[in-house]
Amino acid sequence: MEAMVKKYQQKFRKVRDEMSRWDELQSRLISQFNSASSIIQRLQVLQDSKNYGSLNCVAGIGDGLLRKQLESLEVIFLSLKRTMEEFHGIVFSIEKIHRDGRQQVKGGSNQPSVKQLQLRVGVKPTLADCLDGLMVLYDMHHSEYLLKASVVSALSTLTLKPSASDLCALQQLLIDQPNIPKDEVQSIFDIIFAEEIC
Amino acid sequence: MAEQPETPTMETLDPQTPSPSSSSSSSSSSSTVSYSKPPNPSFQNQNPSPMPPSLTRLWRPAAQRNLRNQWSKLVSCRKQWVSSSSSGKSHATSLVNAHLSQRYLPSMELGVLSDMLNIRKKAGRKLFKQQETFQRKLLSSYKDMVAAVTQMVNASKSMRTFLKGPSNSALVQFSSFSGDQNDSGDGGGIPVFAFWSISSHEQLAEELVQMFIMELNLKRLLVLELLSTSCDNPQLNELHWSDQLYPGEFDHLSMCNLFSQETCEPVPPKLMDLKSDAPTVRSNNQPNPEVLQVYITTWLAEVNIDTLRVDEIFAVIGEEMHVSLT
Repeated sequence: MEAMVKKYQQKFRKVRDEMSRWDELQSRLISQFNSASSIIQRLQVLQDSKNYGSLNCVAGIGDGLLRKQLESLEVIFLSLKRTMEEFHGIVFSIEKIHRDGRQQVKGGSNQPSVKQLQLRVGVKPTLADCLDGLMVLYDMHHSEYLLKASVVSALSTLTLKPSASDLCALQQLLIDQPNIPKDEVQSIFDIIFAEEIC
Repeated sequence: MAEQPETPTMETLDPQTPSPSSSSSSSSSSSTVSYSKPPNPSFQNQNPSPMPPSLTRLWRPAAQRNLRNQWSKLVSCRKQWVSSSSSGKSHATSLVNAHLSQRYLPSMELGVLSDMLNIRKKAGRKLFKQQETFQRKLLSSYKDMVAAVTQMVNASKSMRTFLKGPSNSALVQFSSFSGDQNDSGDGGGIPVFAFWSISSHEQLAEELVQMFIMELNLKRLLVLELLSTSCDNPQLNELHWSDQLYPGEFDHLSMCNLFSQETCEPVPPKLMDLKSDAPTVRSNNQPNPEVLQVYITTWLAEVNIDTLRVDEIFAVIGEEMHVSLT
């Protein structure tokens, strides 16, 4: 049983690595989102020739500027898409860790009983703790990925009729990561690695 | 690449001749096959090489060295441009922010601070000082950009390699200046490296430099506007298109063909490939925030510089010269 728990702890370490990669991606995503949203907010101002002041003496400046900004926006959207693919990759590998973990108890020839699952040795986590923890972590990241994907696609529809308050709300949603409550994540890791804390 | 029969000009090539590029001899030997590649075929064969083969053999390494130098100058000038442009952008942004804060100061809700004596006046003075600082910094970034572009212009005009001294002298020397009317400095239009003649190199360099020249002129308009933006003393700060922004500016602008001798003022800014006949608009000393935002965006967007094309030109030339120009 103890060896089994060790194996699970190993899996949690892997999940932790994936999560630190997630954090890196998160800050990249936020900065890409901000660049895109500042361009989107500018688009309306750029469409009104009243706003060009002395630049009005330069023929075609409005069109040229808009074209350039749309090009930059397109580039940012492409990198946003790549970032989302990397998020998906993380969700995928957490899912695999979770699936492998379940396989270890359910797939083996000697399936542990409920009693064994809840057997606690010292401060070590029970098997049930491990299984639940992996599932919860996977669920969190999976739902958060779906949320981010829908926010990013909402951003591209906002390009056509931008609204500053909408952009702001979407940005806050991305920053908050409501599906990954920090304290809950921490408490899962606290249970799994209780012996390291003591 | 398979061995190709050598072109007549290469027949006398002395294998011991020190050449900056060992691969150049093998690549030039295949030049007859791909002669149609240069973008401007009209220049080819226009004036058959006046140089005897023995001179060509010496001219080529000198010309190669020169082209490499000029192109790497262009690369470093571009880097200088990028960094000056981006610091100019941040100075411009800070300037605009300080200006708007000062302008909104009278209507600002100061809360508990409103009890303090002269708080608005002091804050206003401070913001005014800040604007002066950022204006100075912006002007200095603009100066750096002018310097980058004039160096680019020089490099793009120094691509030819001329023979120095009498051609029958035993000692052959080369120079970047023409000493002889008959010497066009392009080795008779032969490819310098693999495919491209001097004039093809010049053409690409000019295309590149032209983008920066146009963008410089557009930025000049923005600098002018941002320098005239001011809350107090609108008359004091008023700048006109025909004013010199710093001593010697007009000399620099003439080098970039941005100064018109007829009107005795800088040529009006325009976009690449577009005519501009609109008269220069009188600037407004208190442009609204949207206008200022458009100015900053214009600075940032570099409408006249097609970054992809610039990278492409450097990549193509780098490949031609067997060096990496990035």
